[in-house]
Amino acid sequence: MRTCLADIAAPSIIDATRRVLEGCGVEVVVPRSQTCCGQPGWSAGHPDEARRVARRALRAFRGDDPVVVPSGSCAAMVTHGYLDLFTGRPEEAEARQMAGRTLELSQFLHQNGLRPESAARGSVTLHDSCHMLRLLGERESSRAVLAEAAPGVELREMAQTDVCCGFGGTFSVNYPEVSGRLGEEKARNAAATGADELVACDLSCLLHITGRARRTGIPLRARHLAELLAEDAA
Amino acid sequence: MAAALAEQLIAAIERRRGSGERCDAAGAAARVVERIRSWGASRALLADHPLMDALGLPVALASAGIEPVRWPGPRDPRAGGAWRGLLGLESPETACGITVPAFGVAERGTLVLEAGAGHGRAIDVASAYHLALLPAERLVRTLEEALVATFAAGRRPPSAVSLVSGPSRTSDIEKISTLGAHGALALHVLVIGEELSPAT
Amino acid sequence: MSKRIPVTYPEITAPLRERTREALADAELGGNLRAAQASWAKGRRQMAEQHDFAAMRERATGIRRDNIARLPELLERLEERVRAAGGTVTRVADSDAACRYITDLAAARGATLVAKSKSMATEEIKLNEALEEAGLRVVETDLGEWILQLMQEHPSHIIAPAVHLNKEQIRSVLAAESGEAVPEGREALVAHARRRLREVFAAADIGVSGVNLAVAETGTLCVVENEGNARLVTALPRIHVAVMGMERVVADWSEAAHLLQLLPMAAIGDDAATYVNLITGPRAPDEADGPVELHLLLLDGGRAALRGTDLQDALNCIRCGACLYSCPMWRSVGGQAYGSPYSGPIGAVVTPLLEGMRGERSSELPFLSSLCGACHEACPVGIPLHDLLVRVRNRVTTPGHRRDRLRFRLWALAWSRPWAYRATRALARGGLRLAGRRGWARRLPGPGAAWTSQRDLPTRWPPRSPSS
Repeated sequence: MRTCLADIAAPSIIDATRRVLEGCGVEVVVPRSQTCCGQPGWSAGHPDEARRVARRALRAFRGDDPVVVPSGSCAAMVTHGYLDLFTGRPEEAEARQMAGRTLELSQFLHQNGLRPESAARGSVTLHDSCHMLRLLGERESSRAVLAEAAPGVELREMAQTDVCCGFGGTFSVNYPEVSGRLGEEKARNAAATGADELVACDLSCLLHITGRARRTGIPLRARHLAELLAEDAA
Repeated sequence: MAAALAEQLIAAIERRRGSGERCDAAGAAARVVERIRSWGASRALLADHPLMDALGLPVALASAGIEPVRWPGPRDPRAGGAWRGLLGLESPETACGITVPAFGVAERGTLVLEAGAGHGRAIDVASAYHLALLPAERLVRTLEEALVATFAAGRRPPSAVSLVSGPSRTSDIEKISTLGAHGALALHVLVIGEELSPAT
Repeated sequence: MSKRIPVTYPEITAPLRERTREALADAELGGNLRAAQASWAKGRRQMAEQHDFAAMRERATGIRRDNIARLPELLERLEERVRAAGGTVTRVADSDAACRYITDLAAARGATLVAKSKSMATEEIKLNEALEEAGLRVVETDLGEWILQLMQEHPSHIIAPAVHLNKEQIRSVLAAESGEAVPEGREALVAHARRRLREVFAAADIGVSGVNLAVAETGTLCVVENEGNARLVTALPRIHVAVMGMERVVADWSEAAHLLQLLPMAAIGDDAATYVNLITGPRAPDEADGPVELHLLLLDGGRAALRGTDLQDALNCIRCGACLYSCPMWRSVGGQAYGSPYSGPIGAVVTPLLEGMRGERSSELPFLSSLCGACHEACPVGIPLHDLLVRVRNRVTTPGHRRDRLRFRLWALAWSRPWAYRATRALARGGLRLAGRRGWARRLPGPGAAWTSQRDLPTRWPPRSPSS
């Protein structure tokens, strides 16, 4: 599953995800009929609208193959949000079935013992995105994959890595000042590690953090974990 | 066993900036007098409990110049403004409330005070200082044991039970714990038992 | 205290976004909130090291779910036991009924002075205003609440109301109240307040308290505190009125012991509060202290309607305040910006519900959250607050939300069709290219304006280095 946000604003992440998976010998199919997981509507308080979009995802990903998403937040929407949307409805069984085989990228790599080989060097700091951490309950996979796949990369943990960056979907535009303040704190914590770049498993957090960092003059480079993993010697 | 529970109880109360010690019945009165003196209290408000006489407290206190007053005093404390005196509104606060808990919960350092005719529910908080005399056989491990026993079926529940786990405190000013908000400024517990003669 | 303290709560006039902006601009507030949060987090970490918090939380979650499922039966039992112990129990449907009961009682007994210990339920029903209006003098005796009463402010935290003030601010408030100089330092401030409030305990006709938990088995009210004021309020005045949200009942002492153990761990990071007062009826005839009359008010105020809905879990709350400290939003703006007695995640959920989804706060508060889930993690009774926030958002019916729904209807229309999705994607990609200058957009039109009010937007990914 490509995420709508990456599809629009950062196709390089989708491309990187595909290369990482294929490099591990995984056959990758990106259904053309997919759109979005429906999370924007769900979290904004419009369940009927979200359901329409989520039904499209259920249809696009029918079958038994694992669904891999380069976003903790979108993966959590499927594994967690879909139960909220579809429990007690005709699609419940289908939603549960899809939830049961949907994994965020680093989870998928880690759980299947896959080791991409990344030529990345230098130092990074990692932001734990909230939905990854608390809805998927996943703190280890990104660190484990990073350590195994990119031995040339040193991880420097930042202070309060588990605190929300303040993006929060529509929250970021409903209460931009609060959101901005939290993004700034996150950017400062990341910059304070002295690491070369910030890495996360969610593009949404990264857009917000880097955007706030640039606005407030905090020097911070960032990329998605998939992009780091896909880096080859060339 | 009792000694271990006593130590656990005292350690937990000390964490909340109270204090405690173990002693035997013969040594209790002297310890009480010493503690009250260290606080500079001039009056002791005693729960009306047989243990007070058994330990010889009233006599020991009086001979040390500390006025022993037995709950509820000569009159209902509400009458004649006796509360005002007890609360230290007529003169500086100098009373030490002496209670006998029904249980001591070792695990978390909690004293279980049951109100009754001889044991006013406000003795400890209306006084400036609180000294609790806990017979060692009243130590239990968990709060659940103490509460289930206190409110056991077939027994009329006491009208008031107070769980006390330290001196009165407030964190309302800058989130820093400060003692003596409305209740006792200090809490000392004496765990009394024959096998608990003072640790050397 | 000769001075009469008028209690008037300011009406909320500015929209929530405006209030959050003001709070963010207040550096002093920010520092106080940070200090408060850090001290809570430290205590919580210590508790997690000493106890199996996860197991305790699981048991507590089960207890509270069961309590709420059996609520009608437990309340009947509670009523019966409180009456058997000599107390009076009255169910009150709403704030008006609750306040009227207390003002009528005061009039019937000729009362003039009411001493209060900290209670969120009485904040909720705006009891102080009602008592003042009825000509009574009412004094909050919890130190933090008293300070706020003197400042005519609302509490900023469920259990630490004055957490947004520092000691110099407090000192000047206390000096103004007593008309005398107040020495510097925390200890001196506390000693000063102790002396002033002892006058109130000694003279009050009625003591009003809240109830943390009530135990149906014996008809016992549990009031948890650290200062000792709740004991004095419930021991000295002739009449004790306890105001309790009707959901705060547990079945028996095994359950009560567990929750009483967990509450201070979650709330203050200690395994015990200093005092827990367990009150079963008024004083016995042979007792010398304690109230002669005990009145228990069971407040509905919108609670009963939540049972059987997908929001029922909100009733499990034991009001520990942990979700507030854990919430990045609450930590940034403080509780007062919420404009409700209940702030933070639980406040953003229950305020709209208790207000029947009416009014400004109902349409704004549920959206003051990034749904990060830290509240759920911190909650000792496992309330899925991040999900409840979404479900409350679903129920908002203001014109603004209806307009928003219209926009999302268009979104759903387009994004449930792959071809239309691809068309909008092409538009969006084109828009990004147009908006970008050297890989960054500084100002976006229309819906993007709020985004760029605070941040740039990388229009090329990975973003070009920030300095370029």
